[in-house]
Amino acid sequence: MKRRAFLKEVTRGSLLLGLSPSLFAQEKSFPDLTLVQGDSPGAITREAILALGGIKRFISKGDVVVVKPNIGWDRAPEQAACTNPDVVKTLVELSFEAGAKEVKVMDNPCNPAQRTYARSGIAQAAKDAGAKVLFPNRHRLKKMALRGEWLKEWEVFTDFVQADKIINVPIAKIHSLSRLTMGMKNWLGALGGNRNQLHQRLDQAMIDLSAFFKPCLTLLDGFRILIRNGPQGGRLSDAKLFKTVVAGVDYVAVDAMGASFFGIDPEQLPFLEVAHQKGFGQIHLEQLTIEKRTV
Amino acid sequence: MKKERSKKYRIIQAFRILSQAIFFSLFIYLLLQTRFPGEDYIGQVETFFHFDPLLALATFIASRTVFFSFIFAAATILITFVLGRVVCGWVCPLGTIHQFFSFIFKKAKLLKPKKNPAGPLSWKYYFLIFLLASTLLTLDLVGIFDPLSLLYRSFAGSVLPALRYSFNALIDLFYKLKLLSIGDSLVQFLERLAINTTFFQGFFIGAIFIGLVLLNLTRERLWCRYLCPLGAFLGLISRWNVLKLRIDPQRCIECRLCTIHCQTEATPFPNEEWKSSECDYCFTCSSICPTDAIRFPLKPAPEDVKQVNLSRRKLIFTSLLGAIAVPFFRFSPSSRHSSPKLIRPPGALPEEKFLQKCVRCGECMKVCPTNALQPALSEAGPEGLWTPMLVPKIGYCEYYCSLCSQVCPTGAIKELTVPEKIKVVIGTAWVDKNRCIPYSMGTPCIVCEEHCPTSPKAIKLVNAEVKLPDGTIKSPACPVVVIDLCIGCGICENKCPVVDKPAIYVTSVGESRSDKNQVLLDIFLPEELE
Repeated sequence: MKRRAFLKEVTRGSLLLGLSPSLFAQEKSFPDLTLVQGDSPGAITREAILALGGIKRFISKGDVVVVKPNIGWDRAPEQAACTNPDVVKTLVELSFEAGAKEVKVMDNPCNPAQRTYARSGIAQAAKDAGAKVLFPNRHRLKKMALRGEWLKEWEVFTDFVQADKIINVPIAKIHSLSRLTMGMKNWLGALGGNRNQLHQRLDQAMIDLSAFFKPCLTLLDGFRILIRNGPQGGRLSDAKLFKTVVAGVDYVAVDAMGASFFGIDPEQLPFLEVAHQKGFGQIHLEQLTIEKRTV
Repeated sequence: MKKERSKKYRIIQAFRILSQAIFFSLFIYLLLQTRFPGEDYIGQVETFFHFDPLLALATFIASRTVFFSFIFAAATILITFVLGRVVCGWVCPLGTIHQFFSFIFKKAKLLKPKKNPAGPLSWKYYFLIFLLASTLLTLDLVGIFDPLSLLYRSFAGSVLPALRYSFNALIDLFYKLKLLSIGDSLVQFLERLAINTTFFQGFFIGAIFIGLVLLNLTRERLWCRYLCPLGAFLGLISRWNVLKLRIDPQRCIECRLCTIHCQTEATPFPNEEWKSSECDYCFTCSSICPTDAIRFPLKPAPEDVKQVNLSRRKLIFTSLLGAIAVPFFRFSPSSRHSSPKLIRPPGALPEEKFLQKCVRCGECMKVCPTNALQPALSEAGPEGLWTPMLVPKIGYCEYYCSLCSQVCPTGAIKELTVPEKIKVVIGTAWVDKNRCIPYSMGTPCIVCEEHCPTSPKAIKLVNAEVKLPDGTIKSPACPVVVIDLCIGCGICENKCPVVDKPAIYVTSVGESRSDKNQVLLDIFLPEELE
């Protein structure tokens, strides 16, 4: 966002706030998390955003939006290794409905991008909704100061930093090191460099990265979740049809909710526990207002 | 007498150039299409090879098996039988390259055509006999020299990678000049083309190709004149073709322009010296003739046309040489004993059959989505030069991909569906505990396990006790390979964070195609892993 536009919005916003305090009150009344269940990945995504206050709460007119799914593996949607394509598509559609100027969809996958983008169905779905689907471009990598506790600097695809808004849209999967991979782990896909070294202190890396990237919204795809052989699965029985999405601004809370899909107490997950202690977000679900809907 | 060049033949010549351009473009188009098409199955991108009668004959003789796709080669034989070596002049993409550069070199006055060329036209015939003689004794070296194979290999393994590097430099420049949108769109375009850029032999394959092109500085289309074994083969079967060159003695002013500029040294003048087996029907002579004295009338009746002199002695000698080559190429142990590094693509026939059928075209290396397939140097013995092998450090075998088996033009890699392919074992992974991060340092890693594509995974994590330098004991999750499940795809080696010499690596042992290159006598799956 340009500085002038920003100042304009701030002025307009403060004027509005001054004029009608009720608007502020309404802002407060949004739930922390929305959890929507249903048979259509697209419909539950739409409903989850609606319940959270509608897409216009997050995306403004003229925004350049980056939607960051997990497109890590050369796997089909039924295998639940990548974010559901209809979920991604719906988020692209919603962004345009809110007046986004441009929506980019990209990830830095583990298998070749040409394959993962195609087989996951995400490239086609996102293109159908009008998004630009971009292969990772090493020319757009830039070593950035992450100022994390462990990660001081790392190569980041600048698309994720230069965008006006980022929507993080991970899928919930089991993982043999962090136990679960959801929103916080999804940021590894925004990096270049020797990412595999991050596994040496993966929980810390996830925390450092989460403190760096600033998604306006995190939507966890639990339409199918991966319950075995993570993070790739393979057999259809490795995936479980769960028909759920969770959305929220508090990405720690979203991941904490995701942990419950697997019957895991969020406090048992070091990355969530530490993130909570550092004040990044809430992991005690009982302290959150959660709106549950079914469509 | 009216001095005028023939309009008719100049039009024919224009058509010939158009035809060359079309076939060359088609060749390049199919080359670029040889990549992951966005779905599991790719079309007939290897079709060019199936029109090559030399490859058809050589793989048939060497392997003693018929590969049905080569039926198209019959069309080439038929055309050559009736019309002579038109394929060389009008179709062959390597011929087009040579001719293009000869033309450039002539225009630049770097190549001065000789009045009396009289080069060793017979070499290519002896060379062909040499190759076919060793083929008869099951040693198939034809693919190294076949023009289509040579061109494809040179482009896939050297020219395209070099172009890609140049483009990268150009893109770097765009980004430096802050022309971001041009840079971005170029990058996205090139990413879609998915050109593999890393080839061990790229330098040598490229150097040979450039060398062959530079030979055109000494003689126009030198490769086609003296070396090309396919040209020799087509020359042999073109003897009875119906297009015969005739010089009208009334018109001829004996300027010798036709002979000087003949692309393939067929010697149009004097007429009785013209060799139909050398003529590639480019119609340069008839269109360059200042008095329109040259014609190509149809003469179906066989007649005694001048032939290239082949001595019987030399023919016998070269075929003997071909026979001697067989043990010479094979006494190295690597050609028949399993080499740990020789990981063949999935679907590759047993080594002996594979070597008989592989024509080293590089289709598999071009299509491989991870750049894993590399031309071998000595790993498969001298006879296995430039045959494909998987080098996990560069790339790995993508689990749901069977593209290499689909594009192989000879069936050296048996065509596999994806469900068939995922059952094929190409090797086995081994952990180097001395280098493995958890085993040797007690630090967590699990990268190999994370990337292992099988379900259940062929890498299990087991907590092992590790003694650290300060005496403390840790028990991190350490990778253990489940040999019954490992397919040898090599992604573990490829992604291992110990980048210089990975702490997990794949060797060829356990490969499905071999009975002997196996580790365990009994392969059974523990029940809990099922």
